[in-house]
Amino acid sequence: MNKTINRPFFQITKDGMLAAIDKMLQDYSVAALTEKNKNVVFDFVKSSAEISNVYKPTILSPKKFFFPQEEVILEYTAEGKVTAIIESKPMVLFGIRPCDINAKKVMDEAFAESNGDANYLSKIENSVIIGIDCKQVCDEDSFCYRVNSQEVTTGCDILLYDLGEKYIFEYKNEKGREFAIKYFGSQGSDHGAYDKFLKEKESNFGKTEGPFKDLEYLPGVFEHTKDHPIWEEEAKRCLSCGSCIMVCPTCYCFDVADELALNLKEGQRLRRWDACMLSDFANVATGESFRKEVSNRIRHRMNRKFNFLMRKHHQPACVGCGRCVRACLADISPKEIVEIITGEKERE
Amino acid sequence: MSPQLNINEKDEKLYLPEIAKVTKVKSFTDQEKFFEVELASGRSLNHDPGQFVQVSVLGIGEAPISISSPPEKGSRFEMCIRAVGPLTRKLHTLGVGDNIFIRGPFGHGFDKDILDKLSGKHLLFIAGGIGYVPLRSLINMVLEEKEIYEKISILYGCKTPQERMFPSELDEINSIGGNVELLEIVDRPDNNWKGYSGVITNLIPRVSINPENCIAVIVGPPIMYKFVIMDLLDLKMPKKSIYISLERRMKCGIGKCGHCQMEGIYVCQEGPVFNYSYVANNKEIF
Repeated sequence: MNKTINRPFFQITKDGMLAAIDKMLQDYSVAALTEKNKNVVFDFVKSSAEISNVYKPTILSPKKFFFPQEEVILEYTAEGKVTAIIESKPMVLFGIRPCDINAKKVMDEAFAESNGDANYLSKIENSVIIGIDCKQVCDEDSFCYRVNSQEVTTGCDILLYDLGEKYIFEYKNEKGREFAIKYFGSQGSDHGAYDKFLKEKESNFGKTEGPFKDLEYLPGVFEHTKDHPIWEEEAKRCLSCGSCIMVCPTCYCFDVADELALNLKEGQRLRRWDACMLSDFANVATGESFRKEVSNRIRHRMNRKFNFLMRKHHQPACVGCGRCVRACLADISPKEIVEIITGEKERE
Repeated sequence: MSPQLNINEKDEKLYLPEIAKVTKVKSFTDQEKFFEVELASGRSLNHDPGQFVQVSVLGIGEAPISISSPPEKGSRFEMCIRAVGPLTRKLHTLGVGDNIFIRGPFGHGFDKDILDKLSGKHLLFIAGGIGYVPLRSLINMVLEEKEIYEKISILYGCKTPQERMFPSELDEINSIGGNVELLEIVDRPDNNWKGYSGVITNLIPRVSINPENCIAVIVGPPIMYKFVIMDLLDLKMPKKSIYISLERRMKCGIGKCGHCQMEGIYVCQEGPVFNYSYVANNKEIF
């Protein structure tokens, strides 16, 4: 991470950035962190003045811009004319954080593998993702440092580092380079500014517990702990409400449903977020359920994060953003589950 | 990107179904109807036995349905559909000439690699209830060239005689003779039933099985294949000589929606046909 050789860094003042955002707004829809009912959310803004300066974790992750909660995939008429609906618009996503950038990497691969999902991928293609690196852990529920997701390698087009009075930035690909030259200019920055940022970041994260014990071997650990008592224990508390899934930046399971217009002459097929924690998720038509018990569903969800998808994507599919921990009414935490599974900690 | 992942270009037609016309309908039982449909494009489905299609009626929904006909029937193919939900109940109201919509075929069926391994073997088909429907694609295919197999045994179990699928075809199979045998059993016989009564596992000892040259193919409800597999393993059948086809509720058919996931396996991608040795330790198989 601290290999700065051949990595050109540039800089832009904070005022310059606000002006750049207003310039972008003429060409793109811009989504950024903004205040709403005393919370912060990622939402579309009309002016740079609407953007919040202080980062606080959002309830929903930016995945909603690429994989909306509900999305029309087909439109049809009563005569049987069916059209695939693939919507995207030029969009800038400004200020997403390392956890969400790493989550986006998982989502990108999931939607691109084997059968390239045009609904998702066209939105990504039409977007410019501008990340902002984190210098410290954002709150007590986050555990990015336990899965190394405070580190960004790829997954965004431009990455900013906040140095107080200014940003320094680097682009991660050609799309980011062209965009940065057009909107941010190309005033170079010496590596010293980046090194200073990095030193502070390393010092802050150095005070955390660091990565999970055996992080890279978690798929094997989870594979061999399918009968661990933790699944039953957590099941006693879990309400099967699915909140953890709604707020998760890497959950991408969906349901498909048809809706007819009131005139009964046309209709739509929609996909909607679905949740493997809900009791009917793995039901089949004849009523059999293949994950009837809550414990089976918790085990499945945790194995998706630290085993099944981790094998596929070579990174944990939990990025430690802490959203599920904040949303859970029963105080269930993947961090605690992993720590118990690996034997790092005993249940309190 | 991880090198192992197969990253494809985006496909704008992934969820776009194609139109198909119902060309034949026949009622089997109170609950099950047979449909022959033809793709309007005239293309052949070009499926392997064991694969499925996503069938939809616009405005109602979409569901995975097994293909029941053997491959190479031109642009027509067959399904047998049980009315259990809004979509399948709607399908039951359709007649010849009506349109439905199709995506697929999807999944991994009995592909050429598996079919090549079957020749010269004793094929033991074991079907429970509506499980005969997906199995019929392969059964009818192998019956076409029955002489290349050592023996073909078909064991079929239903709850009642009325629930037997394709009853006239079963009678035909029964009359083939030679190296083909059909054994049927029902759980609750009526006065006209002359065959065996009981559960399907009662039939297994009635077939002469050499575990070294036998390949078993099982389709049925979980409670059925659980006990059938136990009995076959007791007979020293190797796990790799057993194939099963599993039912899950696929919403997308392309490995995204998560509904069919069985531990780390997307049944719509790697299945629904599995070699048992591959899934024997999977906790979500039953």
